[in-house]
Amino acid sequence: MNADNILEVRELVKEFGDHRVIDGVSVGVKKGEVVFLLGPSGAGKSTVMRCMNFLETPTGGEVLFHGQPVDRSENGLNHYRSKVGMVFQHFNLFANLSILDNITLAPVKCGLMSRTEAETQALHLLHRIGLRDKAKAYPSQLSGGQKQRVAIVRALAMNPEVLLFDEPTSALDPEMVGEVENLMRELARDGMTMLVVSHDTDFAMELADRIVFLADGKLVVDAPPAVIAASDNPRIRDFFSIR
Amino acid sequence: MPGIIYKKWLAVMLAFMALFLTSCGEKEAERGKLIMVTNATFPPYEFYQGSRIVGIDADMVREIAKRNDLELVIEDMAFDSVIAAVQTGKADVAASGITVTEDRKKQIDFTTSYVKADQVIIVRKDSDIVGPESMRGKRIGVQHGTTGDMYVTENLQEPERFQDGALAVASLVTGKIHAVVLDSAPAEEHVARNKGIRILPMALVSEEYAMAISKSRPELLAMFNRTMAEMKVDGTMDAIWARYLDKDGKPLAVPAVEAEEDKGMWARLADSFEVNFVKDDRWHYLVDGFLVTIEISACAVLMGLCIGFLVAVVRSAHDQTGRYKVLNFLCHIYLTVVRGTPVVVQLLIIYFVIFGSVDVSKVLVAIVAFGVNSGAYVAEIIRSGIMAVDSGQMEAGRSLGLSYGTTMRSVILPQAFKNVLPALGNEFIVLLKETSVCGYIALQDLTKGGDIIRSQTYDAFLPLIAVALTYLVVVVCLSQLLKKLENSLKKNER
Ligand SMILES: Nc1ncnc2c1ncn2[C@@H]1O[C@H](COP(=O)(O)OP(=O)(O)O)[C@@H](O)[C@H]1O
Ligand SMILES: [Mg+2]
Repeated sequence: MNADNILEVRELVKEFGDHRVIDGVSVGVKKGEVVFLLGPSGAGKSTVMRCMNFLETPTGGEVLFHGQPVDRSENGLNHYRSKVGMVFQHFNLFANLSILDNITLAPVKCGLMSRTEAETQALHLLHRIGLRDKAKAYPSQLSGGQKQRVAIVRALAMNPEVLLFDEPTSALDPEMVGEVENLMRELARDGMTMLVVSHDTDFAMELADRIVFLADGKLVVDAPPAVIAASDNPRIRDFFSIR
Repeated sequence: MPGIIYKKWLAVMLAFMALFLTSCGEKEAERGKLIMVTNATFPPYEFYQGSRIVGIDADMVREIAKRNDLELVIEDMAFDSVIAAVQTGKADVAASGITVTEDRKKQIDFTTSYVKADQVIIVRKDSDIVGPESMRGKRIGVQHGTTGDMYVTENLQEPERFQDGALAVASLVTGKIHAVVLDSAPAEEHVARNKGIRILPMALVSEEYAMAISKSRPELLAMFNRTMAEMKVDGTMDAIWARYLDKDGKPLAVPAVEAEEDKGMWARLADSFEVNFVKDDRWHYLVDGFLVTIEISACAVLMGLCIGFLVAVVRSAHDQTGRYKVLNFLCHIYLTVVRGTPVVVQLLIIYFVIFGSVDVSKVLVAIVAFGVNSGAYVAEIIRSGIMAVDSGQMEAGRSLGLSYGTTMRSVILPQAFKNVLPALGNEFIVLLKETSVCGYIALQDLTKGGDIIRSQTYDAFLPLIAVALTYLVVVVCLSQLLKKLENSLKKNER
């Protein structure tokens, strides 16, 4: 595979008990690239993504960061994860902390910056997404779209090199999908490296530099949108036309 | 914020250690002291006069201590614990109208006996019981662990065992039981103060009283016997006796309770209030007892919270990460043992076995016992709170590069704590009320304070009501406080 991948999995295998969920998948993302991970429900998209930052421990295969195997010691993992941000389907904002504290907690605790620096940065980021007046609010006081935008900004506050998105708009009411997708468009335009699990084929066709199609824990195709659109693989055609 | 909470916990823990150490040190140099244990509900041998324990036994040991240059400390505990207290070295001598029996001789040494006493039967005046045989099948009350208890158990049937003679007599007066078997001297006192009951002329069994001393202290036993012999020769014994009994062995100066039929209910209640709380400053027992109860409960709650938090975190960390196998196993044993045994038994074991040979303050023993007990319940409450927090919270923390510990402290525990606050509050209320068994190790808590008043006034109603009301008020205040705390925490997320 390409040597200039920032983040890459090679021959990834994941089993839950006897059940092999991921069967030798290799995917990589280069700096500034936006890669979409598509496929039917239960194909293993989330599992691949969760293995990438070790929320699940891979059963086999390798995870490489800048071409080097990730140091899986406790400290090594914490350091690695601070550079690979993740955005969850259900936002997972810290329910006991204000929006401001949600954003500043990790940079301060990980020693990246002082509390005042972190707060300045957080307010700047909140301003950017138009939620500066919510700094003192708590997650339960926000709408779904606002929560997800704060979650994205919380990940950005760590200055990650890669952002992982696991179905960031699936839990949102339809009218709120747009505001989150717009923020993702902005990030892509600014050159953020992104790996996105999604079921929104239109959004993938628009934003992706490459689309990776998974089915039954195996990689089916890894190609630019234009190639996917012209594919004669019945599975892919089926998947894209259904939606 | 989370950091501050953490430091607070640390401070509390340190305060505990300090308390523990000073309490140990305080009791260290107790040479020159003579510790006597008794159950001060047994007039004229031992009973309270104001806050002082007096009576024939008490005065006798006081004199013995004086003649041997020892400072006397008298501790009041349940009668069925006094011999154990001597055996385990918690006390030097038990002087509590203890009857000499062969069984007891196997456990401790007796001094020379100082009085012959009878076990007598008390009945209501209208009773048709005339002797031991006609008691068969009736309800017979005794004081737990006394020879009266043993006699009835061996020769008649299972008796109803009361913590003290006064309670048994009160039950007789109110008609809950048919007869009471008691030592003759206190029986005379009870009959003198209660109209409507009498002593049957035929004694059940005759016996002797002596004081109990550990078998490992022959020099102390010799000292007691020597001094008692001197006191007999120089007339001191007779003088002590004469303070409490006339020459026929009848109690002196007991204010007999007069018939009060002519008074109205409220007037009687007012009189009863006067006797139970005002006279001899008896309200002090309640106030002092209340303070002890609060001290023990508050410290035990803090200790239980510390233990509970630690155990809950260890168990959750083990479940979530697979680490701390050994610690988790120890925690599991702790939870099983503590939750599988009654708190009274734990209290007695901690007092007599674990702290058996060290001299620590009883308040500390109670705090440790209730703290350790509560810790187990708090641990499971908090663990359930941790498990109830959405797993996405931990994943979000870890995905940002925060360690397991940091995420736990800053994100999971605050949410878990808030979730379980009502359950914790409930646990604290249970704990507060559970401390009422402190009397088992002779601690004068609120319940025991009420017991002492009852033993002096022979009135069960008002002291019990007063104790119950005091607990109730504390619990209601505590509930309100917790509700406020809950509400202020709830403001955060809505
Ligand atoms: N923690 C788990 N334990 C057991 N099976 C799991 C677990 N997580 C996911 N799976 C299984 O792995 C397969 C892939 O799941 P997932 O990666 O969530 O699929 P996708 O995100 O593509 O819908 C599914 O069959 C799912 O049931
Ligand atoms: Mg998924």
